[in-house]
Amino acid sequence: MVTALLLFPVVYAVFGSLFDTDFIGGSPDFVGLGQYVDLFQDPDFVWSIGRTLVFVTGVLVIGIPLGLVFAFALSRATGKLRFLRGVTIVPYLISGIATAVIFRLILNRDFGEVNRVLGFFGVEDLAWFSNPTLAMLASMLAQVWSDLPLVILLILGGLMTVDADLLDAADVDGATGWKRAWRISIPLIIPQLALATILLSYQALTSLGVILALTGGGPVDATRTLPIALYETAFIDLETNKAMAIVVVILVFNALLTLVYWGISRRYDLEAA
Amino acid sequence: MSVTAPATMSPERRPASPFGDRMKRSLRRIAIWVPLLALAIWTIYPVLMTLSISFKTKADVSADPGLIPENPTLDGYRSVLERQGFQDAFLNSMVVGLGTALLTVVLAVPAAYAFARFRFRGRHLLLLFTLLPRLIPGLGLMVPMYRIAVFLGAIDLLLTLIVAFTATVLPLAVWLFVGFFQQVPRELEEAANVDGSSLYTRIRYIVLPLAFPAIITVGVLAFREAWNEFNLVLALTSSPGSRTLPYELFLMTQTTGFQDNPGQAAFAIMTIIPFIFIYLRLERYVVSGLTSGALK
Repeated sequence: MVTALLLFPVVYAVFGSLFDTDFIGGSPDFVGLGQYVDLFQDPDFVWSIGRTLVFVTGVLVIGIPLGLVFAFALSRATGKLRFLRGVTIVPYLISGIATAVIFRLILNRDFGEVNRVLGFFGVEDLAWFSNPTLAMLASMLAQVWSDLPLVILLILGGLMTVDADLLDAADVDGATGWKRAWRISIPLIIPQLALATILLSYQALTSLGVILALTGGGPVDATRTLPIALYETAFIDLETNKAMAIVVVILVFNALLTLVYWGISRRYDLEAA
Repeated sequence: MSVTAPATMSPERRPASPFGDRMKRSLRRIAIWVPLLALAIWTIYPVLMTLSISFKTKADVSADPGLIPENPTLDGYRSVLERQGFQDAFLNSMVVGLGTALLTVVLAVPAAYAFARFRFRGRHLLLLFTLLPRLIPGLGLMVPMYRIAVFLGAIDLLLTLIVAFTATVLPLAVWLFVGFFQQVPRELEEAANVDGSSLYTRIRYIVLPLAFPAIITVGVLAFREAWNEFNLVLALTSSPGSRTLPYELFLMTQTTGFQDNPGQAAFAIMTIIPFIFIYLRLERYVVSGLTSGALK
């Protein structure tokens, strides 16, 4: 029943994307793959795909190393410092829209804390939301902030399973902390690392609220990723059939990620996680 | 030979001068402390800054950069509370959040119990199938659900939101409960069975009390999903009276002209606080529920 409730919309989307309605309430015409042909000939749509790839890549490049470092640090935080694990989860409890509001405030050109700190180091007056490159960076940072708890907890969970005896043995053999991390811990947590990477790319690929409330897709469409394009097509231009074609494109990207994860987990002989 | 070799090897490899050891230890301590400090700042500072701005006057936001406001004021909160739509949205969020939590638990417990206790054909496949919807992002559901809701005349109904949100959390809920029920010792129930208790009494007096942490966990997760969801609210509501908090906050950021920064900060804080409050009160259960169920 549940599966049906959620699968039906998807089937409906695929089906709906094959039609075109000229005006609201008009009868749908079957256009086959016409929507997709139109989409991929539309420079705006191709631009959005490019922006999405930049966004997802950026989120991964910032998020995964940060998550790794934080998770390693947390795995050593014992005793009184364990409360930090509870603190880590805070962004997870905050909605994407509230996250965007927080980042609008701290990245504000006039009074934002980030510019003040950067000013101290000699970087003056960054216009976070009117410079296209910076707006993209701001969106990535907000996205990473809101999803990092999941990444950290996943990697931390992996680190907890690493056999302490193994690390002790390496220590006795004179391996430095750095070496133990690279040669022992990281290879052992590759499954968790893969899952964290896939999860983070999922989230970035389908992120609407954060970007919409932070930059609205601007300036000059710099942050107009696929979800933003979907939102504009469906709820501003009211072209729902075309929007459903965009949905299908996003789902295909999603499915590709899932396949990659499946491949990795099979290779490492895991049960379906 | 093989016995003496390690004994002669290890002192060579590890020159243990007390000074080098202390250096190494303090270096290691720095290597842990710096990232931990960075983590705390990264997580908490943005929220603290927002909290601080929410208590400033509009002019002071740029005039007074300090973390502790010089002239603290409740103007930001007042402007939000007076805002048309905030009270509605807050009430809607509460109703939808609690409704989703309740419906999720009510539907997931029997399903999960059946998966965990009864051996029926294809149950592994079916259980895997339950997880399938989790792979479909809420974003992908927006447009189709919008069209379906328009067709059914269900736009703007809180019940529509509750059903939609429940559908998105159920897979996770069922899996958490299955993991949990499998851990409840079967002998406990068999003993009760021998004593002549019915399926209902067994569930009511043995399984449910034991499953309490899991129920709280699932409830909190479902509430979080409903409380924070934006995409589906955007798709499934159109009139001002039926929106929930994230949508209302989004509309506030879209106002053109002079931005009410303390007001936005206050709004964000007010959407965060109730949840943090619930979470802190129930954290104990949530953590134990998650570790015994999901991470099994």
